[in-house]
Amino acid sequence: MVTCLPEFAELHAVSNFTFLRGSSRPEELITRANELEYLALAITDECSVAGMVRAHVAAKDRGFKLIVGSEFRLQDGLRLTLYATNRETYGDLSQLITRGRRAAEKGEYCLTRSDVSELAANCLALWLPEVDPDIEQAQWLTDTFPGNAWIAVELLQQGNERKRMQQLVELGKQVGLPLVAANDVHAHERQQRPLQDTLTAIRLHTTVEAAGHELHANGERHLRRREVLARLYPQEWLAETMVIAERCQFSLDELRYEYPEELVPAGETPAHYLRRLTEAGIKERWPASETQKVRQLIEHELQLIAELNYEPYFLTVYDIVKFARSRSILCQGRGSAANSAVCYALGITEVDPSRMEMLFERFISKERNEPPDIDVDFEHERREEVIQYLYNKYGRHRAALAATVITYRPRSAIRDVGKALGLSLEQVDRLAKNMQWWDGKAIAPERLTEIGFDPANPVVVRLMYIVHQILGFPRHLSQHVGGFVIARDDLSRLVPIENASMPDRTVIQWDKDDLDALGLLKVDCLALGMLSAIHRACDLLTRFRDRPYSLADIPPEDPAVYEMIQHADTVGVFQIESRAQMSMLPRLRPANFYDLVVEVAIVRPGPIQGDMVHPYLRRRQGLEAVTYPSAAVEDVLRRTLGVPIFQEQVIKLAMVAAGFTPGEADQLRRSMAAWKRHGGLDHFEKRLIEGMRERGYEETFARQIFQQILGFGEYGFPESHAASFALLAYASAWLKCHEQAAFTCAILNSLPMGFYGPSQLVQDAKGHGVEVRPADVTISDWDCSLEPDNNKEPALRLGLRMIKGLSRGAVDRLVETRRAQLFENVKDMAKRARLDRRDLEALAAADALRSLGGHRHRARWEILGVERETPLLGDAQINEAMPLLRTPREGEEIVADYASTSLTLRRHPLALIRKQLNKHRVVTAEEIQKVPHGSVIATAGLVVSRQRPGSAAGVIFATLEDETGHINLVVWKTVMEQYRRELLGARLLGVYGEVQREGEVIHVIAKQLQDHSALLGRLNTASRDFR
Amino acid sequence: MFSRGVISNDPQATCQSSGNKAHVLICNASAASLGVRSGMPLRAACALADNLKLYPRDEVLEQEALKQVAAWSVRFTSLVSLSFSHAVLLEVAGSLSLFGGLDHLLEEVRDGLDELGYQATLAVGPTPLAAVWLARAGRKEAIEHKPQLAKALGSIPLYCLLLGDKKLRSLNGMGLQNVADIVRLPRDGLARRLGKDLVLLLDRALGRAPDPLKPYVPPPRFRSRLLLPAEADSVEALSFAMRRMLAELGGMLLGCGGGVQELSIQLIHRDEQINCDEKDVTHIDLRLSVLSRDVDHLMAVLHERLERATLEAPVIEIVMVADTILSLGSCPQDLFSKQGESDHDWQVLLERLRARMGEEAVHGLKQVAEHRPEKAWGTAVVGGEGLALNFGRRPLWLLDEPLLLSTNGEGRPRFHGSLQLDPDRERIESGWWDGKDIARDYFVAHNTRGLRLWVYRELHGEQRWFLHGIFA
Repeated sequence: MVTCLPEFAELHAVSNFTFLRGSSRPEELITRANELEYLALAITDECSVAGMVRAHVAAKDRGFKLIVGSEFRLQDGLRLTLYATNRETYGDLSQLITRGRRAAEKGEYCLTRSDVSELAANCLALWLPEVDPDIEQAQWLTDTFPGNAWIAVELLQQGNERKRMQQLVELGKQVGLPLVAANDVHAHERQQRPLQDTLTAIRLHTTVEAAGHELHANGERHLRRREVLARLYPQEWLAETMVIAERCQFSLDELRYEYPEELVPAGETPAHYLRRLTEAGIKERWPASETQKVRQLIEHELQLIAELNYEPYFLTVYDIVKFARSRSILCQGRGSAANSAVCYALGITEVDPSRMEMLFERFISKERNEPPDIDVDFEHERREEVIQYLYNKYGRHRAALAATVITYRPRSAIRDVGKALGLSLEQVDRLAKNMQWWDGKAIAPERLTEIGFDPANPVVVRLMYIVHQILGFPRHLSQHVGGFVIARDDLSRLVPIENASMPDRTVIQWDKDDLDALGLLKVDCLALGMLSAIHRACDLLTRFRDRPYSLADIPPEDPAVYEMIQHADTVGVFQIESRAQMSMLPRLRPANFYDLVVEVAIVRPGPIQGDMVHPYLRRRQGLEAVTYPSAAVEDVLRRTLGVPIFQEQVIKLAMVAAGFTPGEADQLRRSMAAWKRHGGLDHFEKRLIEGMRERGYEETFARQIFQQILGFGEYGFPESHAASFALLAYASAWLKCHEQAAFTCAILNSLPMGFYGPSQLVQDAKGHGVEVRPADVTISDWDCSLEPDNNKEPALRLGLRMIKGLSRGAVDRLVETRRAQLFENVKDMAKRARLDRRDLEALAAADALRSLGGHRHRARWEILGVERETPLLGDAQINEAMPLLRTPREGEEIVADYASTSLTLRRHPLALIRKQLNKHRVVTAEEIQKVPHGSVIATAGLVVSRQRPGSAAGVIFATLEDETGHINLVVWKTVMEQYRRELLGARLLGVYGEVQREGEVIHVIAKQLQDHSALLGRLNTASRDFR
Repeated sequence: MFSRGVISNDPQATCQSSGNKAHVLICNASAASLGVRSGMPLRAACALADNLKLYPRDEVLEQEALKQVAAWSVRFTSLVSLSFSHAVLLEVAGSLSLFGGLDHLLEEVRDGLDELGYQATLAVGPTPLAAVWLARAGRKEAIEHKPQLAKALGSIPLYCLLLGDKKLRSLNGMGLQNVADIVRLPRDGLARRLGKDLVLLLDRALGRAPDPLKPYVPPPRFRSRLLLPAEADSVEALSFAMRRMLAELGGMLLGCGGGVQELSIQLIHRDEQINCDEKDVTHIDLRLSVLSRDVDHLMAVLHERLERATLEAPVIEIVMVADTILSLGSCPQDLFSKQGESDHDWQVLLERLRARMGEEAVHGLKQVAEHRPEKAWGTAVVGGEGLALNFGRRPLWLLDEPLLLSTNGEGRPRFHGSLQLDPDRERIESGWWDGKDIARDYFVAHNTRGLRLWVYRELHGEQRWFLHGIFA
């Protein structure tokens, strides 16, 4: 029976990449079509191929045939689908989509018949007639696609089948078009109907109840069984689908990346040119003469690069880095390929491969058809210059940013689905807002009850069911932060390009994973604040000390730097400044560069969840013997004392201990990154454990490794990245250790970045003996700057950039006119620098007018008296007496300082209320340092941060601050539940708790919490919450 | 405002959103005890009080509440003003002797407001602004004489002056916190910096400049009471009296350019007084389809109703009330109304039908955009906007409840003989969102007697057959 069913290929199916129309993922459509034994499936998302790569990967895995197509509604209402038959017509289709998308607002498209006939006349076309078909449309298709057009008959059980068939048969006869069966598929299964209706309501900004006839009348728009189709359609219409499928022979695998040609000087081959540049670099890096090891590495790498034809890629990155250097933009490469000897020689990275032991096997492999991976970090405020350079060099038709698919997150899902189900805005808000990060991602029934929703209420049940389904659904395409694709010719024939939300920016329809899956090359140009800060610090020092400073000049392996790091004195230092890092530093005691590499990688959710931190710590402290189950494993794990810490080690372990091929191991790596989202590690588990058992490893060891792989998940941190980061960590630590003023100054000028706000950075600088001077209109520039103090050492002068509400333009005018002549008074300044009321108020509020106008209150009176010059009266002289205005009290000044600059150079707010605090027998942060382990104390401080690490369930780490330092608070779940109000609400938090010390690391374990905020009066100190 | 209707101890708060953020405006004592405060971000408030009941701020409702209080206050004085935001101002100097002194007056106002379900801060001052500022500062004081004024107002915080954020920031930035701080500043300098308005405001508050206020005038409403000289027990007798009252109404409507759509009439029966039990009063409520002030038209409608009403006792008094008087100019004139009388005739017919059969008995039909047939129609106001939908084959007569059909041996449905089904099926699957999801295949069927029927089969479960409608 089954065997005599007619063959069938579905030609009209939209996925959820037709945003808010399709209700199934491309993979689900492919899987289902395969199960139903369709012979092929065309994904025809509306003017888009954004979901095509995912479909392609899924189809390839199953040996199923995917047809690349797209659906369009032209400006005059004509609806049709077009299909790519080969690489050429695929290019046409891609170009047509590009034209439609570029001609409209983001998310829209606009195409006319002449666009189609001009660009895509060689594609195959299906006409999708309206309820009342227009024969003129059919005629146009016949003329435009001679021999390549069909009429799609879509029978969706709407009670008019016979009439519809008759009508279309008649039309087909009149214009001479054949008929073919199609089904306007929106879902892979009938069960998607509630989700489908919800998407419709969201799209139309209405509720499902009010959506009326906009909803589909039934659930027939899914991949129906072939028995059903055979009953509905005449045999020949089904057979016709096979004719079309047969003619569509295009596969995305045919897309080959073609490198730009202008990278290589005329008359030279890419290989030759790369060799020449590398040799020149070697002479620079190793002036004496390179070692045998280096030479071997270089030769090995160049050979591999040549075999895989990757030279142009290295040359592309080299070109970008060269440009950045020429503009003195600090940059640094990272990623597996970046940490090659070739990249070091080319100056792409600064990690000297001979300086440490690194795995280079993984850098690129022959078996995996995967493009090499190099990310380049640039100074965050100057990356735009690099991007503009790329656009200029290659042209906008050849260079574009990869997309990031913005998907439904819990909060947005609740908001949209809630509204579609008719919940009131207030209810939706309450639900969405209570899913704050404290609650993690899952939506627990208890939380629903707590905020006044009955989890058993049918509306709530439906809501949660659909929210769960919709999570991860794409909503729109956004720009990837810096992933560039550069084509040899016209990029729009490779992948459609559309408008991004930023003016003059474009984005391709595929994201990073899509590009990876197709083996297309991209260059990641990322922004890194610390590079800006290091560059700025070096410039500041060059000027202050009158001799050149640069990143390359920072001396390596300075013991004083490691000494400082071991004491966790690392506020502002790249990567090792977080609270978690700070509590690890005194235990791990990094003493050389490689220790720092480990430190950077180990305090991350991956190793923590994989339970690798403590074994490593014990072994490092000599509390546990370092053992290896075999010599092969020892080779892999020796440098991390037998504990796998880096992603590369896990991959290598799978190879040496479980017999994975490099290709398999790499698949494992990709799946590791994605398993939290998509699952799919099961078959690796079996393979890994069996492989290890066969090679004589104990099952417990095998299971442990697998657990570690799970723990690593998407957080796995490659050694190659850690090494590049550790370089910057070291450089910033060196600056902090030896040049605190310049260091803090540079970070203040690069904010927002890092973990700390201006107040904490300035306090840290003051704590290290740096004199910090206030912002002052008679001295300060826009940026913070260095001035000599009494000992000729640098003092930090705050810049006018710290002042809220002050415009950059005003400050530029101010500094310029001041340079010509010093200001006499506030009026003179306002007049010459053409400052408006808003700027003047900002200056007065910041107390920056003190030198000209006296204290804040007087300054405010002064600036309010500055009148705009009128052309008639010119500079009217008004003589009036200065009224007696009260001098601000210290508390008022502190409040005003915080309000305007987020920091104060006066006393810490707590110093003012210390007397009142003493009544509560509160000890200071400084005193806690001397309290023995286990004692119970009362303390209090301003809440400067609250953190709930995903890796430590149910614990909140809070940092309190008083005038003597910081207090690290640990709040366990039970205490947290009891004192939630205090913990979340208090600005000044009182704590009663137990002191725990482990070496230099001191924590207070909270037992009771108290809200002392009332003591502060109006002191405004907002906490910085971190995930 | 929101809790007037019930007494509740649950935490409640009113919130206001600006842009993407929302904060608590005010909260009740129960919420405050959980740590909720004015000005707190909504998210924080919800985190503190899990079951916090939230009301978005409703400024229209606030204004209405103020107007109600103002209208109610007319009993204390003829001069009530709503010129200041969120305050009702009463000019009471002239009313003191009538109410037996200030203390008694205040007590009555306080009790009265309490009865209305409002909380208020009552403050008294010799100038309007003084009273308002004191009230805003939460100072329940009575300053009766101007010489006390400067001292009393001196300590009022400047934010109570509602000068706007910008001015307040400027003033606070100069270290100025209360009224006394600015009163002692040089007038010229102050005026130059913060505008002449501020100086004028101070002068008005301190009684140095006059402060004329716009009095609040309650909206017009019609209420008329007519005692019948002799007991009336016939429609004719009542009609006569009512015609007079309608004339009165018509005159007033003419005067204010308004019209009425609703009119309520109470016929008070013998031996009873006004405001007695409901059963001794006959209520007649009229609803017109269009706004009108045409006495003849009103009378005709009223007459229809009177003829149908049965009077249980003779009537001694008539009360006629029109609470809502709308401007006739505000309702657009139909462009075509002059071209023929047909529309008007139809309106008259409708009103007569309503008058005769009762308000509820007459309604229109409309199509509703819904896939489920039983939900695809509804009642509508007669003459309301219709929805012209063109959707599938639908029978004119839909059964209230689908009728379960028996089947023959082959599973074919029967209804007065076995049914012949058209081959086209219409599948309808819809309605999961309200718990009444349907999944059915509809067919047009003919039985042996030539009836055209609309039947369906359930897609799931027992797959039973039902008759749902009959084609004409």
